Amino acid sequence: MRSPHRPKDFAHTDALEVHRPLIRSLERRGLIRGGLSLGALTLLTGCDVKRPEAVETALLAISRLNDDVQALLFDPTHLAPTYPVSMILRPPKFNAYYDVMDVKPVNGASWKLELSGLIADKRPWTLSDLTAMPQRSMVIRHICVEGWDYIGGWTGVPLRDFLERVGADLRAKYVAFKTADDYPSSIDMATALHPQTLLALQYGGDPLADPFGFPMRLRMSTKLGYKNPKWVTAIEVTNTYPGGYWENLGFPWFAGI
Amino acid sequence: MVRGYLRWPRRAAVTACLALLLGPGAQAQSPTPGGMPPPPGMSLERSNAMRFPQPVEVGQLIGRTVLQPVESQNVLGHVHSVVRDDKGQVLVVMSFGGILGFGSRLIAVPVDAMVLLGDVMEVAAYTPPQLSHFATFDPAGTTPVPPETVVRVGLAKPSH
Repeated sequence: MRSPHRPKDFAHTDALEVHRPLIRSLERRGLIRGGLSLGALTLLTGCDVKRPEAVETALLAISRLNDDVQALLFDPTHLAPTYPVSMILRPPKFNAYYDVMDVKPVNGASWKLELSGLIADKRPWTLSDLTAMPQRSMVIRHICVEGWDYIGGWTGVPLRDFLERVGADLRAKYVAFKTADDYPSSIDMATALHPQTLLALQYGGDPLADPFGFPMRLRMSTKLGYKNPKWVTAIEVTNTYPGGYWENLGFPWFAGI
Repeated sequence: MVRGYLRWPRRAAVTACLALLLGPGAQAQSPTPGGMPPPPGMSLERSNAMRFPQPVEVGQLIGRTVLQPVESQNVLGHVHSVVRDDKGQVLVVMSFGGILGFGSRLIAVPVDAMVLLGDVMEVAAYTPPQLSHFATFDPAGTTPVPPETVVRVGLAKPSH
């Protein structure tokens, strides 16, 4: 039986050819941008929505505003929740901008931490130098921008203690990091001085495993996971905005929790 | 996909609460999927060795959800137990198949074919159609691995 919904006459066979230029002009991202632009138009008068980069610039400006608001709200003495050691996930969850098989282990014996910028003593540090510093442990929740989380136990040198030891200018705006996997990152000085910001050397009481940043990585309780670079090789204290791997691609810079 | 996402950062959406402007949600930090199967011809042991296998107590694996390493992270089953076969190979016994938990059966997958992903596991070396051809687990000839035993399991990054 012929379906009652079936048209009596078929579409013209040349319809696709006739409308091909119009179909080509349709882009999914164009629709998304258009949707965004609708909201932007209500607030951002003068924004030319025909230029996607204009909308992008506006959104990034709002993201920077959001960063500033988060910085204002940040309490440098307020501690994030901590958890019992029994809740530590062993091993932790791996994540990077590449698969685990592409991890390049770092030789702890030859590893050096280079220092630059507004730091009085720029002599490079070795792993044994760092392990000789007073250590602090914390069991905190790692929260990823992707939506997952886990509880991890980290031990290392409080970044505040380290910065004070090397004579860093604690009035500077930024602390920037370079890593062995080319994943630059940077944080605000207030977060760098927070009690739960560590140059982590251990996880769950053992030295960091290769995929998790051996010999040293940054761990903070107050920022999203992507702000915690692994395999740190250099620290710079600066007043010039350093950006970061994802931040340079549009991720928010402050990324507070 | 990721390039598009990066152009529209999530925090912009959070900021939108201030500016009453909405942006798209965050997706993934991982431009390429994790848990990729080993290249053709590569042994499971060698493939696992490339994944930086980490020590984990067997008891910590029991009950973990097992996912398919694809963006949709389909649930394949749950870890039932861990056994050792007569050749000494460690096998993860997991539920598989069925609908909504009904009608599933137990299959034994070599631990080297699986990866850890935080508090879940993935079957990296076999697709669901391949797993459907696995024989139903028969404990005969196997020995349960005690919960305190430490085995080494490879890692993967999130597939989403």
